[in-house]
This record gives sequence, C-alpha cells and structure tokens, in this order.
Amino acid sequence: MVKGTLFIKSLRDIKRSKSQFISIFVMATLAVFIMTALDSIWYTVEKHSHTMYESTNLSDLWITVANPSEQQMWGIGKIEGVELVEKRFIADADTDLPGGPVLQVYALDDRSTLDQPKLEKGAIGKSAGAVLDSKFAEIYNLKIGDYISIKLNGKWLRLQINGLALISEHVFAVKNSSIITPNHSDYGFIIISTNVLESIYGQKIYNQISVKTSPDSDLASVVQKAGDFVGNNLIGITLQKDSSSVSSVNSRIQQFKTLSLVFPVLFLLVTALITQSTMVRMVENQRPQIGILKALGYSKRSILWHYTSYGVIVGVLGSIFGLLTGPNILGRILVYQLKLILASYSLKINYGNFIFVLILILICTGGVSFFACRQLLSDTPSVLLRDKPPKSGQRIILEYIPSFWQKMKFSGKLIARNIGENKGRLVMSTIGVMGCTGLIISALTVRSTLSGIGDYTYGKTFTFDHKIILNTTKTNSKYLKNLELNGIAQQMEESAIQVIFSDGSQKMEPVSITTKESPLIHLQSIDGTPVTLPDKGVLLTRKLCKERDLNIGDTISIKLTGKGYAAVPIREIAYVASGQGIYMTDTYWESLGEKFKPTALLVKWNDQPDRKLLDSDIVSDLATRESMQDSLSSSLGVVNFAVMFLIVVGASLAFVVLYNTGILNFVERIRDLATFRVLGFHHNEIRYLVLIENYISVFLGMLSGIPVGRFMSWIIASTIDERLDLLGNINLRDVVIAVVMTLFFSRIVNNIIAHKMKEIDIFEALKSVE
Amino acid sequence: MGFITFENVEREYKIGCEIIKAVDNISFGLSQGTLNVVLGQSGAGKTTLLNLLGGMDSPTAGKIVVNGKKISGMSEYDLTEYRRTQIGFVFQFYNLVPNLTALENVQLAEEICPEPLGAEEMLKRVGLENRINNFPSQLSGGEQQRVSIARALAKNPQIILCDEPTGALDSETGHKVLRLIRDVSKDLRKTVIIVTHNAPISEMANTVLHMRDGKIDKLQFNERPKDVEEIEW
Repeated sequence: MVKGTLFIKSLRDIKRSKSQFISIFVMATLAVFIMTALDSIWYTVEKHSHTMYESTNLSDLWITVANPSEQQMWGIGKIEGVELVEKRFIADADTDLPGGPVLQVYALDDRSTLDQPKLEKGAIGKSAGAVLDSKFAEIYNLKIGDYISIKLNGKWLRLQINGLALISEHVFAVKNSSIITPNHSDYGFIIISTNVLESIYGQKIYNQISVKTSPDSDLASVVQKAGDFVGNNLIGITLQKDSSSVSSVNSRIQQFKTLSLVFPVLFLLVTALITQSTMVRMVENQRPQIGILKALGYSKRSILWHYTSYGVIVGVLGSIFGLLTGPNILGRILVYQLKLILASYSLKINYGNFIFVLILILICTGGVSFFACRQLLSDTPSVLLRDKPPKSGQRIILEYIPSFWQKMKFSGKLIARNIGENKGRLVMSTIGVMGCTGLIISALTVRSTLSGIGDYTYGKTFTFDHKIILNTTKTNSKYLKNLELNGIAQQMEESAIQVIFSDGSQKMEPVSITTKESPLIHLQSIDGTPVTLPDKGVLLTRKLCKERDLNIGDTISIKLTGKGYAAVPIREIAYVASGQGIYMTDTYWESLGEKFKPTALLVKWNDQPDRKLLDSDIVSDLATRESMQDSLSSSLGVVNFAVMFLIVVGASLAFVVLYNTGILNFVERIRDLATFRVLGFHHNEIRYLVLIENYISVFLGMLSGIPVGRFMSWIIASTIDERLDLLGNINLRDVVIAVVMTLFFSRIVNNIIAHKMKEIDIFEALKSVE
Repeated sequence: MGFITFENVEREYKIGCEIIKAVDNISFGLSQGTLNVVLGQSGAGKTTLLNLLGGMDSPTAGKIVVNGKKISGMSEYDLTEYRRTQIGFVFQFYNLVPNLTALENVQLAEEICPEPLGAEEMLKRVGLENRINNFPSQLSGGEQQRVSIARALAKNPQIILCDEPTGALDSETGHKVLRLIRDVSKDLRKTVIIVTHNAPISEMANTVLHMRDGKIDKLQFNERPKDVEEIEW
C-alpha cells in the first residue's frame, strides 16, 4: 500500500509536472462532467415521469371508439392480462381567453381511478367544476375559484376552477405534431366530470376506453383481441408508449442515453493518451529513483503501485470533481430546457453509471500508468542506477526510400524522426484536434439542420399563406370547392388512423388526405425530385418507412370508419422533415368507401387576404405559414446553448492536447534546441521545429474530424425528435467554420507555447549536464 | 587592434540581492588565425567569457569587437546572425542531436550558413568518413567530439570556440582531438579559443589568458607553442 513518504513523493512529482497532470485532470473531469450531466438528465426525467405515471395511475392503452358500449367494456375486461377498464371522453375545446388557446378536455366519471390528475392545489371537484392545467393557469393568472369558459360542440360551458394539477398525458404536450416545443400559453388541459357533459350533449357521452393491464401481460395480444372485440366501431388503439406525451418523453430519455455514451468516449481516449505520454516520460526520467527504491528494498509491487497511484489520484480527483459539477451545473441547466412538466425536478444522479465511468477513468489513468512503468521494473537496481544509456536515434520507414529521404532537409529529417519516436503523442494530439473539429461540426450541423427544417417545411413542402382550420360542422368539400376566393386553395383532411403493419403490430398514425392536384403542398423524394400522390395507393414518409422497414410495393392495413381494415399498397415514399405519417388523395380515400371531410383549407392569396372569409364561421382556427415556421424554430434557443457548450468543450480538447504536445516537445528537446540556438538558429526557426508536430496534428485532426463530425451529427440528428426526419448532413459552410475555429484555437495554443519558450533561458539547458 | 578585442568588459549577475561579477573589467586582444587558451579554475569566469564572445550573452559594460564589428549591444536577432556566420562551437559533452546521424548533424550546421564547407568533406577531414551514417549513440566519445568539430568547421566560421573539448575524453583521445583542433587552426587559418582548467593544454597556445575571479590574472604569449605530442597530462 501507499507508504507515507512515497505518497509525499507522488504529490511532489505531480506538482512538478503540473501542466500534464492538470491536463489529465481536466480531461477526466470533462469526461465525467459530460457523462454524469447527460446521464442525470435522462435519469431524472425517467424517475420523475415514472413516478408520475404510477401516482396518476396512467392507463397502458386507450381504445378510441365512438360510444363504447357496456358489452364492449365487459368484453375487453375479460381479455387475459387486462386488470381494469374505464371509459372517458376526450376532445379539444376553445376557450374565452385572449389569444384563443385550446384546452384538451378530459371528462372522467366520478368513480374513475385511471388517468387521474396529480393535484397541486385545491381538490378534484367531482360532478361540478373543473381541474385546470396548473402551468396554463399560471400563465393566464387563473386561481382556484375563478371561472373559465370552454366551447364544446358549439356550446359554451362556464366552469369554476376547483383544483390545479398536472397529468401524465401532458408532461410534454403539443397541440399538433407540427409543433416541436410545447407552448403552454397555447395548449393545456382541463378535467371535468362526465356529468357536466349532460348539459351539452343531453347525456353522458364517451369516446375512449382506458385499459390498465397487469405488468407481465402481452400488450400486442391485448391490442389485437381488443381490436377484434370492438370490431368495426374501432377508431384506433394507442399504447401508452406511443401516446404523444409518453413517446416524446421517452425519445428525450433515449436521446440523452445515446449522447451520454457517445460524447465521453473522446475524452476517455484523450485521458488515456495524455496519461500514457506523461507517465512514460516520468518513469523514464525517474529511472535512478526506481533503482534507489529497489535498492532500498521496496517491493516491486509497492513501486508499481506508487507509479500507478499518480494516475489514480488525478483520475479519481477529476472524476469526483466532474461528478460534483456535471449534474449540478450542466444537468440542472439542460433538464429545464427539455420543457417537460413534471411534479418534481429534483436532480437524480445515476450512480451506477458513475461507477462505470469511474472504472473507465481508472483504466485510462491508473491502468495506463501501471503499464508505463511495468517495463522498467524488470531491470535490476544496479542497471537502473547506472547512467541512462544514451538515447539512440531510430531509423524510420521513410529512410528506406533513399531518393525521397536524401532530398529532405535536416529539419525535415529531424521532424520525421521525432514523430517516429513520439507516435503516441502525435496520435494524442490528432485525436484531440479531431474531437474538436468533430464536435464543432456536429454542433453547427445540428443547428443548421434544425433551422433548416423550418425552411424546408415551410419553404419547400408547404407554400400556403394561411392554413385555415375548418369548423367541420359548418362546411364540406363541395362548399369549399365552389368558394369564390382570390387565390389558390387546397383542401386537406388531417386525422389519425389505426394501422396494422405487415409484422402484425398496430399503431395510430397521422394521415393527411388531400387533392391529387396539389398546388400548395409539394412533396419530394429524398433526392429532391417532386413526388405526386399516387392514384391507387398511399404515400408514406421516409422516416415511417424506415422505422417499420417498409418499401414501395409493400402493403399496410388501415382501419375504415365503421368497417374493417383495408389493405392499401405503398406507392410512393417522400421525405418530409417535420410530421411523419400517411398521405393519400381524396379520390383514393373515397374509393375505399370513406367520405372526404376536409379539416383544413390551405390558401395562397393573389393579393390581400380575404377578411370576410377569414372572419366567417367556417373558420375555427387560423395560422400563417410564418407563425408555423416560427413555432417550429422556437426550439433553437436550446440548440444555441448546446452549440456554445460543444464549442467550448471542443476547444478545451484541442487546447489540452496541443499544449501538452508543444510543451513536451520543447522540454524534452531543450538541449537539442539550445544547441541549435548556439549554432545560430533564430527564434522563429526553433519555434517552427517545436510546433511543427502541432501543425501536423492540427492538419490530420481537422481532416479526420470531418467524418467524425459527420458521424456525431448523424447520431444527434437521429435521436433529437422522433417526429422529425433529420438527415444530419454536413454542409461546406459549417465545415469551413469548424476548421477556421480549430485553426484559431490551435493558433492561440501555439502562441502561448511560443511565449513560454521565450521566457525560458534556453542556454541554461547546456550547462546542466546529464 | 586585434581580430578580437575586449575593452573593459563586465558581466554582472544578480543572484538574490547580491551582485556577482562573473567577468570583471577585462581587456585583451587576439589576432586572427591564432590558437588561444583561456585557463582558470571553475568559477573563474571562463565560460562567461566564452559566452560573451560567442554571442550567447551580452556584457553589462564594456565593448567587444570581433572582425571589425561591435557585438556588444547587438540585438538578439543580430547576435543569432553573428553566431550563424562567425562562430563554431565545440562543447565538452558534444551536444550532438541524438536523432540525427553524424552526417546529418553536420548538415544541420551546413544548411543555415551562407558559405558552408561540405559536410562529408569535413567528416573526412576529422577522419570519420566511414561512420557518417551512424547515430551519435553508436559512436565513441572521441568520435562524437570529432563530429562536433566537423559540425563547427562546416559552418566555415571565423572563430571556433571550444569549451573543455577534452573534458570528457581519455588522454589519448584527448590528444587526437587537440591535434585536430590545432591543424584546423593552422590549415584553415581559424581563430580558435579553448577554455579549460587543464594547465598543460595551454602550452600549445599562442596566447594564454589566465583567469581568476573574473579578472585576467596574466596574459602570456608563447613564442614557440609546443606540439600536441609534447604535452603531458
């Protein structure tokens, strides 16, 4: 074990080589910092969301059906694995609040136990009154006892707020799938009693069956049996994991899980490489000391542990520091940026993974140190105490190509041999620079891609001025067709439909039905060629096809209203950046025996918007293309923060490795360099000799950083949001920016090293004799 | 006025609050093409003198003129340029670059000089034509010192400065190295200055500067310098 004086020796040695050990410390800290921070984010979200799901008794699946009958309820209750069946009513309602926000109405029976609100204030008012989204209430300054009016089925309903709450289905709630970040001033929920519905519909009505299953039940078979049982009345079945909020939360958890595995790799690698170069040098310099220790009678093991402890001490300190700062600084900042509405945000640290990364750090520091000094220990003390054999020059491969080698200047030869001798160091700095360029490229790419979705979706795919959400009770396709309007219009029906895929799995997918002639929606394939809606069959978005492993020519089954399933062939695949799903023409939809009921009218005005139309009662909601694009890109704030963070991290990576390589090149060769000075070499010539390895590794690192950046961009892009189809392609501009930044950072480091070189009296080196 | 002139040269070092005069008000002149020895115990100021002459250090007072050029007070850049063109250095511990072969070590000097003498030729001159492709670690001490002399010569300098050139060598090898230095001085008309604490070596010099405590104790001119073979130590 550590002997007292040996321990003091290690501390003093560490102090003497502080710049290298600080580098190891910084890298270990960064690795743990990033890993534990990203880890704590998903871990916190996972813990708190699951607590919420459990405490609110969230259903495992919901069966949407028009007017569920008692018989259906009974039948579903009998399915193996089903524990509890309840029914509820769910709908979107306008409010009387300024700005016209929409509330999702959940009407529950008084005795219901599933999908309960988590009350923050007040009480569940049963029978009368309502429980309101507490975040929504906060924005509109609504208090318990206040009244709010909602419009259901064309009738206004005035409700007193009895309680403020959160619910599991609104942890992450967006009004529709084209919105990326939740906006609580736009969309919330309200829970009322089914009794209240009587005043509007004349009776209690329901449209959804909530099902709780036992934990070990086979959900797929429950879905299939329930679907069969409900039969033609089925509208769709949604599993808990597929429901909008839960799946969004899960995709965020998954995203941070992936990132917490990908990012630290670079730092671990650099930690190992710096430790390697530091310890090899230290052990070599301490040859006589090792001899003395051996001569004194220290065992091989205690000497080995002594040198291993250098890495261990620094690695453990760095890890602890990373653990203390990562979750608390980065974790705390980022977890709020996820915009999730959870009952608690108290940060949870995943100690299991911390232990895992700590072990990796110990391998990268202690393990590497161990191997660095193991070699020397086989020598006897007398050999070790004798003068170090003079460093021998090494021939490198290049020399065996005489025509090339002989043409090189001595400086070229010297550099080539030095690199041959310090390959590890060159690899270290190349990897560091590679990481720097890669991180910056991926950061910029993600930023460009995200801001690109807005441009792509609302610049290329959609070219309308206004999207009018229609009041379907006041209009129909024929009426809209005959509408006299100063501009181009396109009708569209947007809904969700139950789909059975070829592997038997079922899910509700968004469906868009529109006219064959499509002047305002321009779908494209991945390579940019225009795609038109097929006459006999459907079009699927690329990401949906990829997830389900579907190709053109495959068939999916879609649920028809009041009937069974229809098998429809996939005729086209289109790349849609935001909003995945199924597209088809109105004629094809009607050929399946359905009725085309447009829910939206897209309009491009020739001149001024037609106010009379926009104010008419067929309009239920209105959005401009600009406002939709804005809401899509409102998530960029978080991204800017992430970009800054990745650039800082990348810069620190490049900084540490280049500084180390540069300083080591200087310190280790100071005698040679002093000789050069005596021979009459100028400062800048010496500087060139010292820094050339840095220039080489910067060059190699930047080159290899491009594919690394491409790879990381791809990983981040594919995990960022399941509703987005991001390609993560790098563009030239971002690569150039990343390269310029890398060059800038390396320039700073090189200037610092050059400055340090000037400070040291190089001739001193000649006086000290080995 | 000689080829090399020192006029009231001083070099002070501040160590803590104490001021030490490593070179204390010395004046002397040396002619071109001569072989000179600076003799003194360690700490006498020999190396400081050599550093001043070699342009690696600047005096705190006084004037140094070499080959008609005042080098005291030169800028750092000009001093480097001076070392590059005028000075050849031979060290006690050779200071060869371990990563370069004998030939490459000499080329190192050759490449930065305006009128170099051929590297291979110089190595032949010092008798190492068979070892030009060896690394320093594969050479004996005497051989390494000869490479170092070849390196100093290849620059075709006016002055060759040798700091204890035989200090790390046995007597026989030392003699060989000294003879080489002597021949070079004679044949190529180079001004050589050898710094040593080894008194017998001074017998081969034209001029001997005896140094003690930073001052010149005695300036001795040998009418008939001894042959290297006659010297014993």
